[in-house]
Amino acid sequence: MKFRCERDLLVEALSTAGRAVTGRGGALPVLSGVKIDASNDRLEVTGSDLDLTIRTSVGVNIAESGTAVLPSRLLSDIVRSLDQGAVDLEVTGDEAQISSGRSQFAVRTLPVDDFPHLDEPSGDQVSVAADELASGLKQVVLAASSDDARPILTGVLMTAEEGGLRLVATDSYRLAVRDLPEATVLGEGQKVLVPSRALGELIRVLGHAKEVNVRLGERDVTFFVEPEDGVSVELTTRLIEGEFPNYRQLIPASYPNEMRVGREQLLDAVRRVKLMAREATPLRLTQRDGSLELMAVTQDVGQAHEEVDAVYSGTDELTVAFNPDFLIAGIEAATGDEVVLQTLDALKPAVMRSTEGSDYLYLLMPVRVS
Amino acid sequence: MTNGSWGEPNILHVDMDSFFVSVEVLRDPTLAGKPVVVGGTGSRGVVASASYEARAFGVHSAMPSTRARRLCPRAIFLHGDHRRYGEVSGQIHRIFHSMTPLVEPIALDEAFLDVSGARRLLGSGEEIAAEIRTRVHDEIGLTCSVGVAPNKLLAKLASEAAKPIAAVSGVRAGKGIVVIDAEHAEDFLYAHPIRALWGVGPRTYERLAALGVQTVADLAKIPLDALVGAVGMSHGNHLHELSLGRDQRPVVSERDTKSIGHEETFVRDIDDTVELHRVIVRLCDAVASRLRASNLAARTVQLKLRFADFTTITRSRSTKDELSTGNGLARVAGELLDAPELAEGIRDQGIRLLGVSASHLAPPTGLQLSFDDLLAGTERGAPEGSIGSGWHEVADAIDAIRERFGADAVVPGASMSPTGDRDRTVGADLWGPSDSEDEAGAHSRSRRGR
Repeated sequence: MKFRCERDLLVEALSTAGRAVTGRGGALPVLSGVKIDASNDRLEVTGSDLDLTIRTSVGVNIAESGTAVLPSRLLSDIVRSLDQGAVDLEVTGDEAQISSGRSQFAVRTLPVDDFPHLDEPSGDQVSVAADELASGLKQVVLAASSDDARPILTGVLMTAEEGGLRLVATDSYRLAVRDLPEATVLGEGQKVLVPSRALGELIRVLGHAKEVNVRLGERDVTFFVEPEDGVSVELTTRLIEGEFPNYRQLIPASYPNEMRVGREQLLDAVRRVKLMAREATPLRLTQRDGSLELMAVTQDVGQAHEEVDAVYSGTDELTVAFNPDFLIAGIEAATGDEVVLQTLDALKPAVMRSTEGSDYLYLLMPVRVS
Repeated sequence: MTNGSWGEPNILHVDMDSFFVSVEVLRDPTLAGKPVVVGGTGSRGVVASASYEARAFGVHSAMPSTRARRLCPRAIFLHGDHRRYGEVSGQIHRIFHSMTPLVEPIALDEAFLDVSGARRLLGSGEEIAAEIRTRVHDEIGLTCSVGVAPNKLLAKLASEAAKPIAAVSGVRAGKGIVVIDAEHAEDFLYAHPIRALWGVGPRTYERLAALGVQTVADLAKIPLDALVGAVGMSHGNHLHELSLGRDQRPVVSERDTKSIGHEETFVRDIDDTVELHRVIVRLCDAVASRLRASNLAARTVQLKLRFADFTTITRSRSTKDELSTGNGLARVAGELLDAPELAEGIRDQGIRLLGVSASHLAPPTGLQLSFDDLLAGTERGAPEGSIGSGWHEVADAIDAIRERFGADAVVPGASMSPTGDRDRTVGADLWGPSDSEDEAGAHSRSRRGR
């Protein structure tokens, strides 16, 4: 195998594929490497941890076709460190030569035959606007759990809803629901549970593209992104098996208390007061006519107070406490100049939503304080 | 030892004189002057407290009750009334707290006080000790002995030296207060047998005796290398420090309690894990009650197991959640019990004692509610392994019921045996179970870790 490629393109191809590579590869050492295929003037780089596979491809001048597996992290670090310009890569026997200008590296390859064979994506292909999917995923992935003890909650539910696509995630403390009415990815009644880690990676690559093509298979889903120039990406992830909790029953039918407040104003205030909410101390929000009072007290450290103008209707005065990070995530995920916080009481879920549009909902459980 | 290293005698060790027995005598004055023993009356019971008249026969606390009976057959044996002892203990500790906030409770009848901050207001350590003795006598009718010294080690030895003396000829009053100041510290310490030091158990004693070490003076003289060679590095260093009277441990007030725990010795060894889980539920319920009463939550749970051969092990686990319900503690303690490596020992040997303690304590910052809590009330129930699940509301209700109707008014269902028999109240078997199962259970008492 022998080819020449621009450093920047090669860095992108290697590092994007490398994001599917986890650590040392665990039980299968070859998984610490990326597979490089060079043929028909195309270079393909594949990284995988068996659950998530990312394949990048870029057009280059191939002098000699071939396949090799190289240590992902090391190769990526080497190429990144080189000066701008052309990089030559040549594999002979079990050694790869990487050279650029007067720099030369020789890297031992990993056995190609050990690299797992990955199924070709199956299912019908449908396409979705990349920016719409990316904005929807960003608002939902943040609510997914990272705790492997409950694998179902590490996924994002994608379900067909009134002809569009609905994205749902919860870590059991908050729930995010986003509707994409224009995106017809799934057939009526279809639903899949996609690992949020894979979707986090997808968000990164969606930035470069106008459109994303989706193929849904039996056990996995593949997303293709093909920008007009540059590196195209094919991301395949295994689906999570199991039943997602019935999130609909979590959403209260109505809320007696409603508060409207400037989004940026609230975000700034919460970030300031949070400085005094150490070690999982909650933030207390006291809502009353005309204002919202934020307070944090950490024993033996100190306290913070701030008042924010707000339009409030409901119970005379209501104090609800929240985890400040969960609160910030909800305010950030809402769009527009103003947000609405709807509450029942200090122990029931509260809703944070934007005043513009109703396609996003962030439901948050309070912190119970004595 | 450098004489200059001694500080002012500001640490007090206050120890009630045969506390449980004295409380009994207060209630029934006809017991006065007689050999009285309070403790477990069953075959595996131990002596908790003995009157000085009984001590004259060689009876002492922690001795098996059967042995005490043989030594002093005339002694009056009482199972004790923990509730009453707790009340009296509360009165005593209130007197301590009126002297200084730095009170470290060791037991119902024993505490360390750091009076360095109170001296200007209340006088010297010795004067404060005298004031405590007077008030305990006048207000409660009991006597206590006080050691006054620059550190805990010496204060403890000093209070021992202040105790009444039991002899076959009769009980002689003690000094009541012994003050160890810088000038006398060395002589006082050196005169003690090494057995008087913390950390010198039978095995250590044997090894040290083999080196010809009998007194603290001997211990202070032998080279550190020889000491380390005999008892190991960390223990050797520790003993060396003690022999020089060095004890840096501060007096830690109740507010800074490090752990809260309960343990129980069984009538017979238990090899059935289901039954052990029931015990865990019961102990955790009691620990959680005390956590909530002190407005504390725990992040670490420790399980202690003593096997039939007396091998004792502890296992602990920390969680990111703040635990303050019996259910939350029992879930973690139960996981520790279920560790595969323990299964064989439990099955083959059986468990003699089981203890649960909660540590890493802090006032609860608030509990992040989850949707599982929300669903707990619905027919679907909360998913397995969830922590909240409405148990905090249950705990609130339990506390309210107990406040009104007493600790026994409500118990966890999971602590009941399949036949519906109600298990004993926690703390009742602190000194070993009594043989008659229907004996009145005593109230739970604190065993405070350091």
